[in-house]
Amino acid sequence: MKNKKIVFFPAFKRVVPSDFENWLENMALDGWHIERVRQWSSIIMIFKKGKTKKYRFVYDLQAVPGKDYIPTYEQFGWECLGRMASVYIWRMEYSGERPEAFTDNESMVGRDKRTIAAVSVSFSLFLLGALAATITAVFFSGSLSAGDRNQLIALAVFLIILAILLGTVMIYIYKRGKQQEE
Amino acid sequence: MNEEKAVKKYIPMTETMFFILLSLQQEQHGYGIMLYVRQLTNNRIVLGAGTIYNSLSRLERDGLIKALSEDDRKKTYITTELGKKILHTEAKRIAELYKNVKSLLG
Repeated sequence: MKNKKIVFFPAFKRVVPSDFENWLENMALDGWHIERVRQWSSIIMIFKKGKTKKYRFVYDLQAVPGKDYIPTYEQFGWECLGRMASVYIWRMEYSGERPEAFTDNESMVGRDKRTIAAVSVSFSLFLLGALAATITAVFFSGSLSAGDRNQLIALAVFLIILAILLGTVMIYIYKRGKQQEE
Repeated sequence: MNEEKAVKKYIPMTETMFFILLSLQQEQHGYGIMLYVRQLTNNRIVLGAGTIYNSLSRLERDGLIKALSEDDRKKTYITTELGKKILHTEAKRIAELYKNVKSLLG
């Protein structure tokens, strides 16, 4: 029996924070555990087989956390598994009532807004890149070889596709957040 | 932030913000706030770590509370003069609501 499970792009498949949390919780219920979360964990996550555990996970995006960010969570009994990019992943074993880190509507909406804002940075960069590549290909075509121009157009199309994907992700997180509010 | 802007931003206030500001009439850290609010509301409101951290960051940024000390990375906070004014404004609003509801329901 396998005692290791590798999951690729886990954070890209579950872009809504609560979906990611629930997925980790279900994995732990099935006995699949992560020991640490690292920068590349959004791309690859390695789970080890162990005992079934009832864990509550929390996905919290904090771009510039204050010094008291980690101590505050730890005081409440949360264990920091690490961070991937700006996302901190917290865990707490429980029985009975499921613990929550975000206990009012305002902070739950705020968490989703921070996630959308982070995605919007990449969205803007891809869009700007696509715009720059298009402008160069169209207005400076005289000074470019046919091969270079084609490469620029291909780059612009690729960046636009990525921007559309990220735009869709932002809308999806926003809509799911609204549904959760209701 | 000046008082006018703070009134616009915080009034009416969420229950979370109200109880956090109320608990910071005396020096407290995040976990202490949760315990205080839980006791005050007979377990009705149990604030989570994420909610408290984000609320404290916001209140400190807007000048309604200030950090007093930092022991072992644990920050303690207290309400500023601006925070007290905003809390009193909100308390008056709630008292007015109560008065109106009471006269309506008898």
